[in-house]
Amino acid sequence: MRKKELKLVVTFHTTADAMAMEKACKEHQVPGRIIPVPRAISAGCGLSWCADLSDREAIVSMMKEAGIEEEEIHECMV
Amino acid sequence: MNLTDSKKKLALGGAVCGIVAACLALLGNPANMAFCIACFIRDTAGAFGMHQAEVVQYARPEIIGLVLGAFIISVATKEYCATAGSSPMIRFVLGIIIMIGALVFLGCPLRMIIRMSAGDLNAWVALVGFILGIATGVLALKKGFSLGRAHVTNKENGVVLPVIVVGILILALCTSLLKASEAGPGSMHAPVIASLIGGLIFGAIAQKSRMCFAGSIRDIILMKNFDLFSVIAGLFVVMLVFNVATGRFVLGFNTPGVIAHSEHLWNLLGMYTVGFAATLAGGCPLRQLILAGQGSSDAAMTVVGMFVGSAICHNFGLAASGTAMNAETQEVVAGAVPLNGKVACIICIIVCFVIAFTNKRKEAK
Repeated sequence: MRKKELKLVVTFHTTADAMAMEKACKEHQVPGRIIPVPRAISAGCGLSWCADLSDREAIVSMMKEAGIEEEEIHECMV
Repeated sequence: MNLTDSKKKLALGGAVCGIVAACLALLGNPANMAFCIACFIRDTAGAFGMHQAEVVQYARPEIIGLVLGAFIISVATKEYCATAGSSPMIRFVLGIIIMIGALVFLGCPLRMIIRMSAGDLNAWVALVGFILGIATGVLALKKGFSLGRAHVTNKENGVVLPVIVVGILILALCTSLLKASEAGPGSMHAPVIASLIGGLIFGAIAQKSRMCFAGSIRDIILMKNFDLFSVIAGLFVVMLVFNVATGRFVLGFNTPGVIAHSEHLWNLLGMYTVGFAATLAGGCPLRQLILAGQGSSDAAMTVVGMFVGSAICHNFGLAASGTAMNAETQEVVAGAVPLNGKVACIICIIVCFVIAFTNKRKEAK
């Protein structure tokens, strides 16, 4: 089994925002991948963006540029 | 201990839900129905006289238990959060559509899995439609479909549905106001207390594991993630073992007595409709009840839509009939989807496409 490690997890208000995030990250070559929102964060069943902790700045600035609003930015074991 | 941090634990949660369903089947719920959200909402709507199909009227305590189970566990674990405001009327319409699709097929996704585990090949045909419906919904998500965000609202909002189901329970136990079938599937049920406890356990586990039949396939298509699927797999395996062990496993298409029909196209399209609408609404019928229990007024609107949808199905003759054995001639009479049901199903699919490709995400300012 893959070992869990501390990651940056960005959650969104809607699934559509998460899908827009995936598209924008691909376009701007910002690292990360889309994952189900970790159970520890939410009882909801939406999608979130998972990346390395070191990518926080690149992600935040890209989201601002692309007009994508986060719900919260977490650091959790994924 | 965290019960949701690995696929094995999630599968175990699904297995416990499977045991609950198997016990309820043993205690009197209809053969091969055991635990069906669409059928049980339809029966409850019938108990209120919302439709006049006399064989499917009974206030199912399972539905009450599911909502209360999710409500109680979410309050106890501080996950209860009252939210509202994500296109409630569109969600109401999606609830109606989900119910029409489900009653064309004769079951919700949960019952589809239970029917599959009993060897009913019609349900396997329907699974293909269900997956295609979810895939269409996923395509819409990729094209920017959104019903808009929900906002946190007064916590009392989220308590309304749990209070209503408590009211239904009181009416069922203390008055003779509600109708109850004397024959047919509505007359077949486990004792009230067993159904209620079964619903509470199922609801609590579904809330913790985020069990969702549409969501599990959505996650596989979108992200190749099998977490939610493992819950369903656990439930399926337990029901399969139960059905084989008790001689209820009958492989075939025309199986009288299990409330199913063999019109393949309409089994497929019925569940296509459910899969498509459920993906747009953000969850299958079970998940809508659970989300409503943990505070979502939007999901509660979908639940209300399902109640209204079930009344529409029976009042307008949309629901399919099950293949049955003629008691006198011992001939198998094939179940069928009436013309009205076929037309309604097509209309529902068209409406889903309109909803899916007109509601678009708005960029943050």
